Amino acid sequence: MRGKHSKLYYWAFVLPSLAAIFIVILLPLILGIGTSLTDSDGYQASFIGLQNYTRLLSDDQFLYSLGFTLRFSAVSVLLINAIGLGLALIVTQKLGKISVLLRTIFFMPNLIGGIILGFIWQFIFVRAFASIGTATGLAFFSGWLADATTGFWGLVIVFLWQMSGYIMIIYISFLANIPGELIEAGEMDGANKWQAFWKIKFPLLAPAFTISLFLTLANAFKIYDMNLALTNGAPYGSTEMVAMNIYNTAFFQYRQGYAQAKAIIFLLLVALISLTQVFLTRRKEVDV
Amino acid sequence: MFSLVALSLLLSACGTGDMEGGAPQSNGGSSAERGSISLDLFNQKPEITAQLENLAERYSEQSENDTTISITTVGSGEGSAGLQARFSSGDEPSLMMLGGLPEVQRYSHTLVDVSDMEVSAQTIDGLLEGGTIDEVPLGIPLNIEGFGWMYNRDIFDQAGIDPDTINSFNDFVEAVETLDSQKEELGIDEVFAFSGGENYIANQFSANFTSPEYNHSILDAYQATELNWEYGDRMQMYTDLFNVYNVQPILTVDYSRSVEELFVHDRVAMVHQGIWIVPTLNDIDPDFASEKLGILPVFGESDTEGKIVAGSPWFIGINSNMSDEEIEEAQNFLDWMYLSEEGQEIVTGDLAFVPAQEGYEPEDIQDPVSRELYEALLEGETAAMTHNQYPDGWFQQVLYPQFQRYLSGDRSWEEFEEHTAAEFEDMR
Repeated sequence: MRGKHSKLYYWAFVLPSLAAIFIVILLPLILGIGTSLTDSDGYQASFIGLQNYTRLLSDDQFLYSLGFTLRFSAVSVLLINAIGLGLALIVTQKLGKISVLLRTIFFMPNLIGGIILGFIWQFIFVRAFASIGTATGLAFFSGWLADATTGFWGLVIVFLWQMSGYIMIIYISFLANIPGELIEAGEMDGANKWQAFWKIKFPLLAPAFTISLFLTLANAFKIYDMNLALTNGAPYGSTEMVAMNIYNTAFFQYRQGYAQAKAIIFLLLVALISLTQVFLTRRKEVDV
Repeated sequence: MFSLVALSLLLSACGTGDMEGGAPQSNGGSSAERGSISLDLFNQKPEITAQLENLAERYSEQSENDTTISITTVGSGEGSAGLQARFSSGDEPSLMMLGGLPEVQRYSHTLVDVSDMEVSAQTIDGLLEGGTIDEVPLGIPLNIEGFGWMYNRDIFDQAGIDPDTINSFNDFVEAVETLDSQKEELGIDEVFAFSGGENYIANQFSANFTSPEYNHSILDAYQATELNWEYGDRMQMYTDLFNVYNVQPILTVDYSRSVEELFVHDRVAMVHQGIWIVPTLNDIDPDFASEKLGILPVFGESDTEGKIVAGSPWFIGINSNMSDEEIEEAQNFLDWMYLSEEGQEIVTGDLAFVPAQEGYEPEDIQDPVSRELYEALLEGETAAMTHNQYPDGWFQQVLYPQFQRYLSGDRSWEEFEEHTAAEFEDMR
């Protein structure tokens, strides 16, 4: 009897979330796959098989956006985690009140939305940098966001600015959980600070790497708001990331079937890369 | 477990059922005899939202049917996506602002034929064309807009240039060189502030040179399956000229920098812009538009034939998926807006429109550039807004990036023409 009751409770609790997932995730996904096989313009649609997918292979702009997004993600994931960990190490030193202040300051950019950050930094890159350039005569500061290279690094810088503080928080919590006696034992055995970090703390941080890498990777791939506010794909589509390419295909060209096909490919790619990453970093985790 | 699912389905069914059954039907039903029709207008021009709301309010005040009209605004390039979202969610607007034939075409099966309306009869010849699909006019032109080289009369005066003597491309080049040689005395940064960072500016600029290819006809442009850049070399001549004398880096000059910062503060002599900047100019410097603003034609067709591009970029369509009373009321609203004295006053006053109908006194139009435009249009001396008739997404995804590439020296003009023409054919 009791078993039956608990089964009923089990389903009563699980069902609402299952239904929600089905309605807002699974159902749209299934409909999306269906749409990707049509030439839908959002209004009328007829079945065209896999044409959208074969067409993708010769879509230069999409392939470029894909390459750009991959480059962007690789660079920013590495830098964000390096900087985030660095910041975490700084603020976990015994600095008293300053450490709390620093934590707040480092985390602050994450509270500002991507759109606003994009516009603020657009102003900094285009106007402030230009003024510095004319004042100092350094060519480095002029013409930001006007060519593909500075566009790329502009996006990376803003994303670093936004995400590093967030990732810092994750590392802080894991650093705080490392038992003090392990470090102490290491010191007794003659390990210096450097060795203590690389040989003791670093391996114990493996679960933090799993989470942080996953979060930054997934976020880097899906950026749209910051991209829109900062460069909007300009100059000449050279900073158009995949999410923006898909949106533009769907809502400027009204090729919704084609955009869906792009989105499905994008989903598979992100899932593949993220799962591989989680699988690989999981293996490095150690149990204490 | 099943009863739970069934219950939730039942509940949600009731919920949506209520929403569908309730609001719209009561409008068209028996209660309509005693009035209270409510309509909504989908607006794609955020800059006139407040004025439209005022207009709608004035209409309800004098309406016998106790009609209310609400305004929904989605703009800044997201308007079409917003409108489509309204349609796919089933919450269709009763009146909608549509930009260009491709958009009219998309909704053509749900739009009311407007040919019998009073306001259509008053519309300036040829302007209904931009909202006509298969010879049925489906939209009322909202207003007339036009663009070309907007210049600062003061700066031209100081440099000793009489704008009226610019009658050929060579005159234009000469004026630019004169301005450039006196940059310091005139206190200007550069001659031009062309917004190389705005896709719609590149798009509008191209109309100067695609309009002659399509015989200055919106319909020809809309039906065209290819773009041959017959006047492409003229576009190149202009592009090369302003790129030399422009604020650099040109690719990061956006609208606000070019108009609100440089042009209105006398720091550049010319921008490629349209009369929609007049309200903005008035906000910053109330005398600018009336005293300093002028517009120069573009010699897009030949060395000596200069034209301003003008036309109706926006059309108001009426949704046919409504009760007859509602459709009639929507038509009444448009007739009232453009033909009644009260409506006309708001159209030229509050909204500062250049009207698309005949029968207005040129003196009623507030600023000189708008007046010039209205007169030029009545006389048929303008080029057509062919840029609104390109394939969907072509200007954002192809023309603009390729034009930027040419501006930055990344592409030759031949490559620009070839690439854009090929994509034009593909996307049509």
